[in-house]
Amino acid sequence: MPGPIPDSAVTSPARPRESPLGRSVRAILRKRSSRVALVVLGVIVLVGLTAPLLAPYDPAAQPDIVGLKNQPPSLAHPFGTDPYSRDVLSRVIYGARLSLMIGVLATIVSLTIGVGYGAISGYLGGMVDSIMMRLLDALLSIPRLLLLLGVLVAWPHLSIGALVLFLGLTGWFGLSRIVRGQVLALKHAEFVTAAQALGASRRRILVRHLLPNLVSPIAVAATLGVAHVIVLEAGLSFLGIGVPQPLASWGNIIQDGADQVARLWWMSLFPGLLMVLTVMTLNILGEALRDVYERHS
Amino acid sequence: MSTSGTPDVTSPLLSVRNLRTWFYTEGGVAKAVDGVSFEVGAGETVGIVGESGCGKSVTALSILRLIQPPGRIEPGSRIEFEGKDLVTLPDDEMRHIRGNRISMIFQEPMSALNPVFTVGDQVAEVVRIHEGISRKKAWDRAVETLALTGIPAPEERAKQYPHQLSGGMRQRVLIAMALIMKPALVIADEPTTALDVTIQAQILDLLVHLQKEFGTSILMITHDLGVIAETTSRVIVMYAGEIVEQASVTELFAHPHHPYTEGLMHSMPRIGHDLERLNVIPGTVPSPTNWPHGCRFRERCPYSWDLPEREHPPLYDVGPGHVSRCHLAIEPERRNHPHPPLVVQAGVGAA
Repeated sequence: MPGPIPDSAVTSPARPRESPLGRSVRAILRKRSSRVALVVLGVIVLVGLTAPLLAPYDPAAQPDIVGLKNQPPSLAHPFGTDPYSRDVLSRVIYGARLSLMIGVLATIVSLTIGVGYGAISGYLGGMVDSIMMRLLDALLSIPRLLLLLGVLVAWPHLSIGALVLFLGLTGWFGLSRIVRGQVLALKHAEFVTAAQALGASRRRILVRHLLPNLVSPIAVAATLGVAHVIVLEAGLSFLGIGVPQPLASWGNIIQDGADQVARLWWMSLFPGLLMVLTVMTLNILGEALRDVYERHS
Repeated sequence: MSTSGTPDVTSPLLSVRNLRTWFYTEGGVAKAVDGVSFEVGAGETVGIVGESGCGKSVTALSILRLIQPPGRIEPGSRIEFEGKDLVTLPDDEMRHIRGNRISMIFQEPMSALNPVFTVGDQVAEVVRIHEGISRKKAWDRAVETLALTGIPAPEERAKQYPHQLSGGMRQRVLIAMALIMKPALVIADEPTTALDVTIQAQILDLLVHLQKEFGTSILMITHDLGVIAETTSRVIVMYAGEIVEQASVTELFAHPHHPYTEGLMHSMPRIGHDLERLNVIPGTVPSPTNWPHGCRFRERCPYSWDLPEREHPPLYDVGPGHVSRCHLAIEPERRNHPHPPLVVQAGVGAA
């Protein structure tokens, strides 16, 4: 057979593959603020992961509730002790583990529901979409904190698993809006028609063609979502209806010293500082991701 | 109505009969395709030409049954392909036809490719949809097919994303996707419109070359008579949702009959004809929700008289394998007395 006709234009040498994921990672590494944020967050995550190795004491142990309570920071207890004579440093380290875990797991729950709900609503369209969106409007009109307070007041002794579930169940409304909008915008894109013309089924189009195009907005929402859940959990624990004692979360450590904040300053300063750092770094990373994605859409 | 004169195709691969695709919009029923019948033979290249809004793309999408609501293929329409009526075929069987027996090349190669997958993935996906073969084997087939379309270093290119390729390269990728299953029919919807001229010629050559290679039939949809002349053997001219003229390419260019076809030819720039400005057909295609009574081209036609106003013209036989939807077939002397079309007299759309 005669050879095919070569393409005359373009002949830049093949560049290395640049996936959307690779692009996001590179964009984060390019900016100094997000590089620093990544390192700081990495350290906090590492601390949480290796808590049993790092914590100098058992976070729940009350060695001497009379003689050792409310000690200010010292060499033996760098972050001081709490009113039950527990080591605050150990509690903050274990708190990192629990607070991050709750943030991530609850966000996974919200992502799953939010992406599923939004994608189905947007893709099916028509009546189904209208009904699903009106339901969402109703859910969105209830403040999340109020919803959680109601639930937690009704069941005051929820397990951590149930807490995660409720945090997740109340966190997907905004995301499903975003996903629905994107799916709606993309489902008439020519590449979707092209995929249909090549014989792809509806499910395949949704899963293979539409959702991968939503990775960036979902990643942004997830990053910011984790930060939001950490703050929410701290707020609930501070109110005494979040993580149950003797487990440590940043929120309930602060709560333990809340009635004497001025005197027992170390009890709110250290966990508070870590929480601020975590939320800040997550927000910086979320913003950086948003920048990449907005530049490319 | 004398609707004979369909060209002598021995065994039509595709036979479209009285296709009507209507859109039920709030402004009324848009009869985008309104009673179109034609055939495509095995290995044949047929062109459909017409300006925007004449219904050519809707015809193409109807064949693959990709019309989205509020559009609908009206009952009574038939699209026969390899012995099946595509209009009534169950969805899962229709999916088996798409991309496998009939495939489509889209106009805008950038937007027809998914931006977040490598082009190799996208070509391979077509094989994986239709044949349960491994990822690796599908990838190899994709690279092979990309090579056939003249993409240099196909192994490397396959690993790239659409935005990393030029327009011509991307169109080659789409061609690879359309041809990888060796379909019996490829519908090419303005395959070169988005490309610059030199690349256009290469892509057309490639299509013609691959068509011979695979024995595929092509339905070439374009507004460009140059593309038609270069690639097709038979031409269908569409206007306002219907076929207004059909003939072999040589016959059509030698003896255009319908005033609309004439207008299209005069509006082509030609070497050796210095003109101050290009001729254009005055006015625009009328609204599909309200096709004019009688001849739909009447208001833009330099020959119209009272008969076209009263009566919708049938397809007249005007030559060997040549049909035209124009009453000039029975009153040919009127061609000698052109006058400004109605739209110009009314002062609308004069150009």
